[in-house]
Amino acid sequence: MALIQARGLSKTFGSKAAVRGLSFDVVPGSVTGFLGPNGAGKSTTMRLMLGLDNGEGVTTYDGVPYRELKQPLRQVGSVLDAKPFHPTRKAVNHLRMLAASNSIPNSRVTDVINLVGLGDVANAKPKTFSLGMGQRLGLATALLGDPGTLILDEPANGLDPQGVHWLRNMLKTLAGQGRSIFVSSHLLSEMALMADSLVVVGRGMLIASGKMSDFISTSNRNAVLIRVENPELMTRELRARNAAVVTEPDGKLAITGMDSDRVGGLAHELGVRVFELSNREATLEEAFLDATGASEEFRASMGFGNQGAAFGGPMMGQQGYGAPGGSGQQGYGAQGGYGQQGQQGGYGQQGGYGQQGQQGGYGGQPGQGYGPPPGYGAPPPPPHDTGTSQDGSRRDGDTA
Amino acid sequence: MTGALRYEWMRIRTIRSSYWMSALAIALTFGITLLMALSISAADLDDEFDSVYQVTTYIVLAGASGPFIPVMAAPFYAVMGVMAVGHEYRYGTNKATLSAIPDRVAVLAAKLVVLVAWVLASIAITLLLGMAITWLLLDNPQFGSHLVRPLLNYTGYCVGFAVAGMGLAALLRNQTGAIVAALTWPLVVEPIIYGVSLAISETTGGGIGKLTNLLPSSAGRRSMFDPYEAIAGFGNGEVWSIGAAVIVFWLGVILVLAAGATSFIKRDA
Repeated sequence: MALIQARGLSKTFGSKAAVRGLSFDVVPGSVTGFLGPNGAGKSTTMRLMLGLDNGEGVTTYDGVPYRELKQPLRQVGSVLDAKPFHPTRKAVNHLRMLAASNSIPNSRVTDVINLVGLGDVANAKPKTFSLGMGQRLGLATALLGDPGTLILDEPANGLDPQGVHWLRNMLKTLAGQGRSIFVSSHLLSEMALMADSLVVVGRGMLIASGKMSDFISTSNRNAVLIRVENPELMTRELRARNAAVVTEPDGKLAITGMDSDRVGGLAHELGVRVFELSNREATLEEAFLDATGASEEFRASMGFGNQGAAFGGPMMGQQGYGAPGGSGQQGYGAQGGYGQQGQQGGYGQQGGYGQQGQQGGYGGQPGQGYGPPPGYGAPPPPPHDTGTSQDGSRRDGDTA
Repeated sequence: MTGALRYEWMRIRTIRSSYWMSALAIALTFGITLLMALSISAADLDDEFDSVYQVTTYIVLAGASGPFIPVMAAPFYAVMGVMAVGHEYRYGTNKATLSAIPDRVAVLAAKLVVLVAWVLASIAITLLLGMAITWLLLDNPQFGSHLVRPLLNYTGYCVGFAVAGMGLAALLRNQTGAIVAALTWPLVVEPIIYGVSLAISETTGGGIGKLTNLLPSSAGRRSMFDPYEAIAGFGNGEVWSIGAAVIVFWLGVILVLAAGATSFIKRDA
C-alpha cells in the first residue's frame, strides 16, 4: 500500500514543455482523480511516473523509484493505453506472458480474468474485443500482481454504463483496502462519484491538489442565492459589506463572500421580505472548468457569441491551493478568476454575459457573448461561462 | 533477467507469426535443397574430384546458399527479428512490457537470446532435413570437417539477419519500415552497389572494387562458400579473406543492433 510521491516532474518535447515541475502526493486508501484538459500533460505525467519517458523529477512508491522496484507488477499496476495487446495473442496468454515476467502464478491469471468479467472470452483473440473489453483486459493486467498501487489512464473509456459502475465500485473497494489509486478521466460526473482527492493540471502545471471537497469549495460558482422583495436595496447593502452580488437572469441575487446565515440576517435587519434563500454549490465539472479554463490546449470553435466571454482562468491566479511543496505557481487562483476586478465586480450584472468593458466577466448585454441572440426564443442560459468568444478563442485573464 | 527471459519465451511462443515465419524459412530451404539434390543426382559428376562432392554436399545442405545466390531463409529470420521488437511498437505493448520489466537492457537482451535460440532451432531443423535429402539423393555425399566452417557461417548469416532485423525495428520503431529496410538492403541496395562498383572498377582498372568487401550482406554470403579459394580471384583479386568477410558481416550486424539498442534504451517508450 504505497504512498506515491511525485516531485518536480518535467518533460519537454523539443521546445514545448509538456509537464512543468509537477509535484503531488497520492495517499493510500484513496482514489485520487487526475484531471486536466486535453494536452494538459496527464498521460505524459503518468508515463514519467512509471519511468517510461525520460524527463526530470522523480516519482517514488514508498520511497522507491519505479525502475528500482523488484517485480513491479506486484507493487504497481497500470493501464496507459486502451488496447495494449497483440491482436492475435489470446487474452489469457497475454496475461500469462506478463505474469511470467514477475513470477506471478497462472492461477492469478485465471482469477483476474474472471474478476474483470472476461472469463468467457479468455481464449479469444483480442482483435475481436470491443473497446470496453479491451479496457477490461487492461485492468486485468493492472490487477495481475495484486498491487498496492494502481495508475490508470482513462480506464472508463469505452465502458458501458454497467462497466463504469463496476469500475467505480471496484476502485472504491480497492481503495477501501488501503491501496493507492491514481486515475485520470474525462468523465467528471464519474470522477465526482469515485474520487476522494484530486490532482488538477493545466498546460503541464499543477493547478490544484488536495481533497475534492476543498477543490469544489474554491469555485466561484458557489454562491448564496436569494430572491427578495427589494433586490436593489439588498444589493446595495450587501456590497456595502464587501459581498459580491450578481443578478441572475431569473432575478435572484447570487452572493459570494457572505454565507447564507449572514445574508438571511441582513435581509431581516433591512426588513426585506425573502421569498427564497438557498446555497448553490458548484459541481466538480463547474469547478474543473473554472480551474482549467485558461489552460485548455485545444479549443473547439463554437461559432457563436459576439464579444467573447471574459473571465480569466485561474492559471493567472497566485493564491496557492494546497499543492505539496508549492512554489506559488501552483495556485488555484482567485485573482485571475471571473468577476474579481471589474468595476461592477462579479458576473452578469446586466443580464447576459460576455461583454467587454467595465463590467467584463460575465457581465454583458443580452445577446452578446455566448448567450442566444435576440429573438432566438430561448431564455438566457444559466451563467456557466464557456470562455468562448465569437471566434472560439478564450481570452485568458480578462476579468470582470 | 530471468523474468525477462520468461516473458520473451512466452511472447514468442504465443503468436502464430513466430511459427509460420520459421515454417516458411524451413519449407523454402527444404524445397530448394530438394530441387538441387534432384538436379545434382541426375547429373553425371566427375568422381575423380572429392571437392566436387564436397561442394555439392554443402550446396544441398545449405539450400544452395553461396556467394552469388541469396540465402532464401535469411529474410524470413530478419522479419522474425523485426517482429521481436516491432510488434511492441505496432500494437503499443511496449509500455506494458516496460512496466512489467523496467530494465530495458534486460528486455532487449532477453529478446536477443530467445530470438537467436529460436532461429538456431529453425536452422537445425533445416540442416537435418538437408542432411537427410543429401544422404538419400546424392551419390557420394561428403560429410566431414570441410563443412564445419561454411555451415557455421551459414548459420551465423541467418542469425545475423535476425539480429539486424531486431536492431532495425528498435531503431526505426516502425515494423513495416524495418521489414522494408531489412529486405531492401541485402536484396536491392547491396547488389546495385556491388554491380556499379565492379563496373567502375573494370572500366577504370582501379581499386574501387575493394569497396565491395565492405558490403556486409555480400561479405556474409562470401564467407559461406567452401573452398573459399574457388572465388579468391573474383573482383580483380581484391576480395578479402574469409575471416575479413566474417568480420565485415558481423560489424554490420553489430552496428545496426547497437544503434537500435541505444534507441530502445534511451528514448521514451
